Order: sequence, then C-alpha cells, then structure tokens
Amino acid sequence: MPGVLESPSRLALKRPVLRTLRLGFVPLTDAAPLLVAEELGLFDAVGLRVALSACTGWAAVRDRLAFGALDAAHLQGPMPLALAAGLDGVQAQLIVGAGLGANGSTLTLSQPLAAALGRFTLPLAAGAFAALLRRRADAGQPPPTLAVAFPYSTHNYLLRHWLASAGLDPDRDLRLVVVPPPLLTQRLQAGLIDGFCAAEPWGSHAAALGIGTIALSSGDIWPNHPEKVLAFAADYAAQDPESAIACTAAIIAATRWLEEPANQAAAVAMLRRRAFPGLAAAEIAAAFEGMAQGLPLAAPLRFRTATLPRRDQAAWFLRQMRRWGHLPAGVSDSAALAPWRQDIWRAAATRLREVEPPIASQPPADPPEAVG
Amino acid sequence: MTLDQGTATLRVLLVDSDLDRAAAVEEGLAAAGCTVVAIAAGVEELTRRVRDTGAEVIVCGLDDPSRDELEGMRALHRDEPRPVVLFAEKAAPEQIEAALEAGVAAYVVEGLAPSRVRPVIEVAIRRFRAHQALRRQLALAQSDLEERKLVDRATGALMQRHRLSEPEAYRRLRRMAMDQGLRLAAAATMVLEKK
Repeated sequence: MPGVLESPSRLALKRPVLRTLRLGFVPLTDAAPLLVAEELGLFDAVGLRVALSACTGWAAVRDRLAFGALDAAHLQGPMPLALAAGLDGVQAQLIVGAGLGANGSTLTLSQPLAAALGRFTLPLAAGAFAALLRRRADAGQPPPTLAVAFPYSTHNYLLRHWLASAGLDPDRDLRLVVVPPPLLTQRLQAGLIDGFCAAEPWGSHAAALGIGTIALSSGDIWPNHPEKVLAFAADYAAQDPESAIACTAAIIAATRWLEEPANQAAAVAMLRRRAFPGLAAAEIAAAFEGMAQGLPLAAPLRFRTATLPRRDQAAWFLRQMRRWGHLPAGVSDSAALAPWRQDIWRAAATRLREVEPPIASQPPADPPEAVG
Repeated sequence: MTLDQGTATLRVLLVDSDLDRAAAVEEGLAAAGCTVVAIAAGVEELTRRVRDTGAEVIVCGLDDPSRDELEGMRALHRDEPRPVVLFAEKAAPEQIEAALEAGVAAYVVEGLAPSRVRPVIEVAIRRFRAHQALRRQLALAQSDLEERKLVDRATGALMQRHRLSEPEAYRRLRRMAMDQGLRLAAAATMVLEKK
C-alpha cells in the first residue's frame, strides 16, 4: 500500500513531489537495479514516487517512452541510438541517466546444434562455430536460426561481431530472428530456433531444462561491455531534472547493494518473486555467481562498475549499426550519441559520494573492412 | 458503419491471444469492408504467417510479445514484407495517444498509404477500448465483492473479540476508518491482521 510509506518519506523531502515517475522494464536479470530500488524503498528514500511496470517486450517499452506513456525505462543500450536516429519511423530524444550493468548474456545453442559441434569448452571459439556452419552448408543443410530479443540490442551486435570475426556473414550464413525473451526457451524446445543470444536468466533456464547448452557469454566477446541503460524521455528530464537525478541516485544505490555478495540470495529471491515466478532460484542465481552451467565466466554480470554512461562505449554499438546497414547514411554520430550525457549521473553520484568507476575494458577492435 | 471505399480491399492480420477481443475487432473490420485474412493467437512463426497471408495491415495488442518479432522482420530481413509500426510515420498525435491508451499497435506493410489505414486503426481503437471498459467493469465488480467480504469478516471478528452486535461492530469499524482516514476495506484489513 503506497499510503503506508507516504508519511515517513514526506519528511525527507526537500521539495514537493510533482507527480509519479512512470518507469518501465522488461523482466530480465539485468533489470535487478530497478526492482531492488523499489523493494528496498530507495525511491522513497530519495523522495521519489515511482510507478514501476513490467512490459512484455522492447517494442512496447519503446512506444510508451517515445509517446509519453512512460517517463523512463530499462532499455537495450542501442535503443536510444535507434530512437535518436528515428529508425523505423519512431523518433524520440532520450537521456541516459545510468548504465544498468555489464555482461550477463549468453549464446545458448540447442542440443542438436551443440552436439554437432563435438566437444568444446566454454567459451566456444568463433572459428569452431564457422567450421560447423561450413560443414552443414556442404551437406546441403539450411543455415541455422539464431534468435536475439530485439534488432537494436547489444546481443544482435555482439553476436554479429563474433560471427564476422570468423568470416561468417550473419545475414547469409545464418538466419537471425527476433524472439521476445519469455518465449525463447519455448521456441528452442520446439525446434523453431537453433539457439539464442539473450540476457539471463534465459540461458541458464534453457540449460537447467536440458534443452540448451551455453556456448559463450557476452563478456567473452567484449569483456565488461555495457548492457542495459536507464533512459529518461528528454522532455521529462528537462521539466523535472531533480526527479531524474533522484531516480538515478536510487538506481546507483541499488547497484551498490547488488554488488555486496551477502545480498545475492535476497536479490535472487526478489527477482524470482517479481519477474520469474516459474523459474528455480538456482537458474536466476547463476548469473549473480558468475557461472554458466557450473563453470565460472571470465567476465561475469556486474552492476556497480557499469553505471557511468560512457559515450565512447556507446559509439562502438553505433559503428556496428553502420557496419550492418541498420543506420541511414545521413545520421551524424553526434546526433545519435546525444543521449549519452553524464550530467545526471554526476549529480546523482555526488549526492551518494559514488566515485567514478574505472574503465573496465576497451571495445573490441573494428575489423579493417568496417573502417571508412 | 458504412463501407469505406479506401479500406474495402485491405487484408488485415489480427494478432491477439484474447480471442473475445479479436472476434470483436474482426467484426468491426468486416463491417468497415476489410478482409481479415487470419487471427493469430500466440503464433509461433509470425514472419511466415505475414508472408503467407499477404497481409497488408497487422493489428495487435500494444503489449503483445509478437511485436518484437515484427520489428525484427523489418530490421533484419530485407527479402520479406517489411511491416512499419503505425505509431510512427505520419500518424496524428491524437490517434497515437488514443491507440496507446486503448492498447493497440498496428503495423502497415511498407508501401501502403497511411491514409488508407487510418480507418482500420480507428475501428481497432474503438473495439479495444470497448473491450477494456468491459474488463474494467468486471474487475470493479470483482473488487467490490472482495471488499464486501473483507468488511464482513472484520465485522465478525470485532463481534467475537468485543462481544458486540453486528450493527455495533460495523459502526466501530466505520469509526476506525474515519478516524484514520482509511477506506473501509483498509480498516477491515487492519482489524483482521491484528487477529
């Protein structure tokens, strides 16, 4: 009941609450900072009333944010780029308040495809995957179908980079499709897709069901790559900058809490209750423990070290969008990257005395043919 | 609804797992002269369905998970029909707002003039909205019933606890609610939680 929390938090207010901030998310492990901020009362603590709502897919979040039915959302990193560029006819100006995490996604293959690879150790080498695809093509088999959760997703671009690094053409040697996250395991089981690259817990869930094998984690492609972002509608942030800063502060505080190993079990329980009631705790916990099918990952899911929005990192995704022809030639880098500002993050971090996280790693090198 | 020359030949694919709502939308579209080529509920290969039915317009729920698949169809496959979300290009702001509010999303296969599709969206918005109102009424009736049950249980608890008659217990509950500025159901919940 919101009324119960009202009176104590009112006392902490420095200003009247203008209205409720409408915040959307897609149920995935990397939405944890939003759920934690709500469950721990961190939004209340910064004097903010937040209506947190789950959306089934990325298109639904995008439309609500772009057309004013949400003020802020958990978004795929490349989505503010696509919206700034007006891709697919939907244009919106957003501001990234914070990164929500690094790593935390997997490439999970169906059992028949994994078996065809023979024995391999995680992380699977791109060359071994390419060799399998060539054998299949020589045998007259159709290209396998791999799913990502959205066209403008970190997964689509990291996967494409990995495939291309072994000389594969993602648009010809494979069939890439979009499947919304909650349907991934179902489609894998039904044999409609041969694998997927998606955020946890879906890879660990498929592995636990015995219908998939985790071949690779996204951190194996670009260690500590930025994953989802917290993005505000630019109009909202301009009208009520104080709320945008307060919300970002609550999210940074949530990532601090998430980074404490002692809080992991509680975080898993929250996610299970709020986002994945049908999944076993161990399937959700794997990402927090930095494990995939019982093996440790080199670059596991991180929250706190990834909150500062870095324009040079977003620029890597922008280059990939150009590389694969997803961006019209007329779009300038500066216009597409405009959402990556650090002022909101810095104002929020100052209040929390949060220091700037060190740069964890540089993006993968661009292939020579993509330059120029 | 009169038959509209502009929509008469449009082939519409409905994607909706709410079959009652889909039926209502289909009826509205048929009355507007459209051809509903298929209703796809929780369909597995929407991409193929769009191609095979030759659909020119796709109407679906704003939150239907199939939407992301339609977006992928446009962005990833140049060789297929390319559906464009109708919120986008050239839609009037009032229509966008109405569609969002009613929970409708529509896609137009690239190349079709948006003006031809407008009546389709209007029908869909009206039918979605009517369905929403119906569901809200049902939910309201349901919550009224739940609240009445709570109040009855709390009254019973007060009668037992303080050996009151039913009208006395009810008056006490109402006074508690008024004193604390709570709804009657909230006061009832407090009484029941105290045991």
